[in-house]
Parts: sequence; structure tokens; C-alpha cells
Amino acid sequence: MIRQDLLELAARNMRNARLRNALTTMGIAVGVASLVAMLSLGIGLQGFANHQLMKSGMFQTVFVSSKQEMRNMDQDAKPEESPALNDEARKQIAALPGVEEVVPEVRAMSEVDYGSKTNFTLVAALPPSAHDEEAVDKVKGRFFSSANANEVLVQRDFAKKLETDPDSVLGKTLTIRYAERQSGDSPGSFSIERKEKQFLIVGILDTEPFGGMRISSRARVFLPTQTAEAMNLMQPSDTQQLVRSSPGARTYSMLTVRMKSAAYAEKVEESVKKMNYSAYSYLDATKSIRRFFAVLDMFLGIFGSLALAVASLAIVNTLVMAVLERRREIGIMKALGASDGDVKKLFFAEAATMGLVGGALGVSLGWIIGRAINFGTNIYLQRMKMPAENLWSVPPLLVVGAIVFAVLVSVLAGIYPAARAAKLDPVQALRYE
Amino acid sequence: MNEETGALAIEAQGASRYYTMGEVTVRAVDDVSFTIERGAFAALLGPSGSGKSTLLNLLAGLDRLTAGSIKVAGRDLSTMDSEALARYRRLTVGMIFQSFNLVPTMTLSDNIELPLRFAETPRSERRDRVMELLTNVGLAHRASHKPTELSGGEQQRAAIARALANRPSVLLADEPTGNLDSRNGQEVMTLLRELNEKMGVTVLMVTHDPALASRYARQSLHMADGKLVSTVEALR
Repeated sequence: MIRQDLLELAARNMRNARLRNALTTMGIAVGVASLVAMLSLGIGLQGFANHQLMKSGMFQTVFVSSKQEMRNMDQDAKPEESPALNDEARKQIAALPGVEEVVPEVRAMSEVDYGSKTNFTLVAALPPSAHDEEAVDKVKGRFFSSANANEVLVQRDFAKKLETDPDSVLGKTLTIRYAERQSGDSPGSFSIERKEKQFLIVGILDTEPFGGMRISSRARVFLPTQTAEAMNLMQPSDTQQLVRSSPGARTYSMLTVRMKSAAYAEKVEESVKKMNYSAYSYLDATKSIRRFFAVLDMFLGIFGSLALAVASLAIVNTLVMAVLERRREIGIMKALGASDGDVKKLFFAEAATMGLVGGALGVSLGWIIGRAINFGTNIYLQRMKMPAENLWSVPPLLVVGAIVFAVLVSVLAGIYPAARAAKLDPVQALRYE
Repeated sequence: MNEETGALAIEAQGASRYYTMGEVTVRAVDDVSFTIERGAFAALLGPSGSGKSTLLNLLAGLDRLTAGSIKVAGRDLSTMDSEALARYRRLTVGMIFQSFNLVPTMTLSDNIELPLRFAETPRSERRDRVMELLTNVGLAHRASHKPTELSGGEQQRAAIARALANRPSVLLADEPTGNLDSRNGQEVMTLLRELNEKMGVTVLMVTHDPALASRYARQSLHMADGKLVSTVEALR
């Protein structure tokens, strides 16, 4: 039998038991809807979490520190084996394949003058790349014009301390008073001098940079990295270096290594470890998070599939009923020359049609449920004075996948009824009145 | 009409069909041999339970032989697999039943189109073919009616049209007038004879009515207890 005839006959058979087939199809639709709803939520949450992590530049960043550092994250480190993290090391790391930028972590407690007000706060360097990476979002005003501009960004709550209308700080200047390290004559000594520098306030940050996940995120005033480096801010590591038995040139407490993409992170981390520094990337930390989401998706998928499994039993039931009801008709078709295969295909076509229609309806239904949940969540978030988030994601692959899955499950459910119909003995079927 | 070699439409050799019911073997058709010539109008007679319907089902390719062989239009049914048998039922034989067996939810034209669908007849030819078949049995005006809207005689004529859809060489009829009053029965029998004479279709009709057999059939096969007891050739 050609496909068009098969589909015509299947459609006719389904019309003849309209209510039953419609109910079964609705069952599949509900099953698919629950699957789509669950998976979209899983994918949406994962996307949301990933987006937050991406904002922090986590996946393409490796933090390097010397094992001599006391704040070192590696418990078993043997400090004497690790070389100093100096300019030489910085150049070596910058030369590794895939590395785009190596910036020191520069931060210092400083006094900040604004008009007649004076505040003591943490000032930190922010690399210009932070802007491209979306590590800073919601900047009121603008970002640094260049890597060595005499410009600052301030945190909104800091701006509130300066002016009653925080937005009015834009375009005004502030003065940072800081300790400048001046290189001494011998490795064992350097001098420190009090300095002042004026900066133009160009932007106000509404959120903490890097998703609030780095030490420097806590700072209230941010300078471009090159500007900060040129200022030779006295760092806590400088005194540590000074009291060592063999003092050397200036070292960094920590270097932040940014790769072109997350794909390089593992290799760079390995190379840095070979150079005997401690290296740490969030890739390690997020492995468990990603595993959590994989498991979560799987469980959501299993729960979503349960409803579809129940629906598939409804298909088996509907088609077995149809076989019993259409015994005679099947007998007639066989007497007229339908082969076992034709009969089987006819039932498969009916099962697949229910799967296809149910799948398409289910995806729409799941989408509507998802929009509703997302809408509700955002109303809640807004009431809690939090920005709206998209916790819901229905990728095209999920739409296609869900429909294909529904058809597949339906056809599988049709195997038994179809085989039963095909095996029907026409002599028996036609005798039966 | 299928142009096969030989003058025989049906040739049965020791055809047997046994059923086992627990310990007991029922010999529904037991070692039956006969021949029916091409273009003949034959009747298969016998009391109920004599095995005539089982024999007809064997000839129709709906049931399978336990032993022996049956050749229809030169082809041996005993060696066919289920796919080949389906093909045989589709193209070589047509069958009509006492209870008509039209699909009640389909219109007449849909019923008649059914075997054309199984035979994968091009869709463009089907409409004409269906109308031609309906016209042949005088039911063109009933094409879009459902079977239940028709009289028994009309239903049986529609069933005949459906049985002939794929131009079979043999038409098997199982008590074709059993459910009809005498007027409708006669009409159906006249139609069968007409088709037999004009189109050369070999007709084999099962009946328990010797009068009907002697009136229309030129050859009568009598069965009892699964065996063929006599073959009578009427002179014409």
C-alpha cells in the first residue's frame, strides 16, 4: 500500500473513533507537555546559572599564585619549591598558547576625597576586558575610555555616600590618596611614599563586577588595570617579600590569566602547575555544578517521561480496543488482499498520528505552562525588588526532539496492537458475527 | 483477465485441512481432488459442517492446506508464503460472502476502492475504475451511500463489484444468496451468471441449495464429512 492510502485509511479509522482517539492524543499531549515543561525548566536554570558564571569570566580564567604566598589555596604546597611570581613569570605565562591577558590583582585600602567628603575604602583594578566579557553589566554612564585613562567607576552604594542623587557624581572628580612603593637601592629595601591622584568619575556600577565572585569585586572604586599598575600601589605581598630570608624583586600576590576561550583553561592550568606555581580555575569548581545540572536534567526528564509512559499505555489500550472492535474489518481487508505488513503499517500509522498530533499539542501546552511559570516567577522577583530573569528556555532542538520522541514512543506502543492485528486469522475474523 | 497457460482455473490434488482440538483431529477437508475449467460456473454443495466453507477458504488463500496442493490459475497455493498469498488474494481471486462483509463505515465507492488501494492502482485510474464497477452492477447512483442505506441485494451487488475490482480470474462466492429474499437472490444470481458469461470469470459458489446449484451451475461438487462424494457435470 502506498503511504498516501495508508494515511488516508488511518485518518478515516481515527475519525470513526473520534472521542477515544482524541482523549488518547490529549493524554500524549499532557505527557509531552510535562516533559517539555520539566526539561525547559532544567535547561533554563542551567542557562541562567551558566550565564551568571560566564559573567564572572570563570570558565576562561585561571588564577595563579606563588606557593610562597601564605594565602595560597593549595594546602600541601611546599613554599620553598615554588619560584617567585615576578615580572619574568608574568611574561612566561603571557607567552603560553591561548593566553590573552595576564593582569595582576591590584587592590589597596585608600582614602578617597570627593569635595569635602573623605571615605576610607577598597580601591581595585579592573581590566578593560571585563567590559567585553560582560563581567560588568548595568553601567550608568560609561566604561573606561582606555586601559590607562585617569578614570574611575564607582559602586552605586558608594556614590550614594557621596551625593544624595548618586547619578550626579558622573563627570565629577575624586582624589585617591594612596601608598606608592618606590624601588630601593638594594633588594632588601624599598621606600613608601604618600601620593594623591585625581580621577574623573565616568560610570556607576549597579552590580558587583565578575558576578561578585572575585576578591576585587568587593571594592567600591575601580581603576583601569594599567593605570593602577603605573601607580605602583603598595601591596600586602610587598612586605611579605621584604621579610623573606632572600628578598628579591617585586612579586605579585596573584595573577589573573584570561584565555581566548574556556577550551584553553585546562592546558594553561597544567602548564602553570608545571612551572611550579599554584593555579586555580573555576572550571574545577564548576565541574560539580555542571554535574549537578546534568543529573537534574536527567531527573526532570525522567519525571517528565513518566506522564508520557502512562500516555503510551493509553495508546496500547486504545489500539488493542481498535483491533478487537475492527476484527471483522481487518478480516475483510485481508480477504481483499491486504498483507500482514499492510495491516501492521495501518496501526503504526494510527499510533504515529496520535504521537505526532499529541507531540505538537504537548509542546505548545508545555510552552504555555513554561511561560506562565516564568511570568509568575518574575512577578515574584519584581516584588522582591530583584531584576527579572529568564528561567525558561525552549530550544528548537527540544521542540523537535519532544515531537520525535512522542512519535517514537507512540510507534513503540503500537508494536503489540499492530502485531496482534497482523496475526489475526481472517477465517476466524470473518466467521465472527 | 490473467492470461495463464492451461485450461484449468482450479486444480486440487489431495487437498486436506485438519484441525487439532486437544487430542482430537478434525478432518475438515480430507483428501479432496477435483478440477474446474477456466470460465466454468461451478457449485460446491453439502450440508453444513461438510467442509465446503473450509475448502472455499483454502481456495481463497485465507486458510492454509495441511496436505496436498491447490493450483489456481496455474499457481500452487501450498508453496506460497503469507506475502504471496496476500498478493494472490488481491489479484487472482475475488470473494463474496453470505453476509456481504462490506465495511459499514465506508461508502460504496470507498469499499470498492479498498482492493485498488491494496493493489497500489494509480490514484488517477481509481475513480473511473470504481464508477465502471458500480455501473456494471447497476449501482452507480448509490456510489456515496453507506452499505446500511442499501437493500441486501444491492449490498451483495456492491460486494461483487468490490470482488472484481482487480480483475481476478476466479470469483469465489460463499452462500451469496443466503441472506437474501428470493427476488434479490435471483437478481444476484443473474448478475453472477452474466459476469461469468460476458467477462469469462470462473465462478465457484458454495451453497446448500441443490435447486440453486442445478439452475445456475454447470458443474456440481458434493461434499460430506470433509470428503468429495460426487462431481456432476450438467449438460448444456
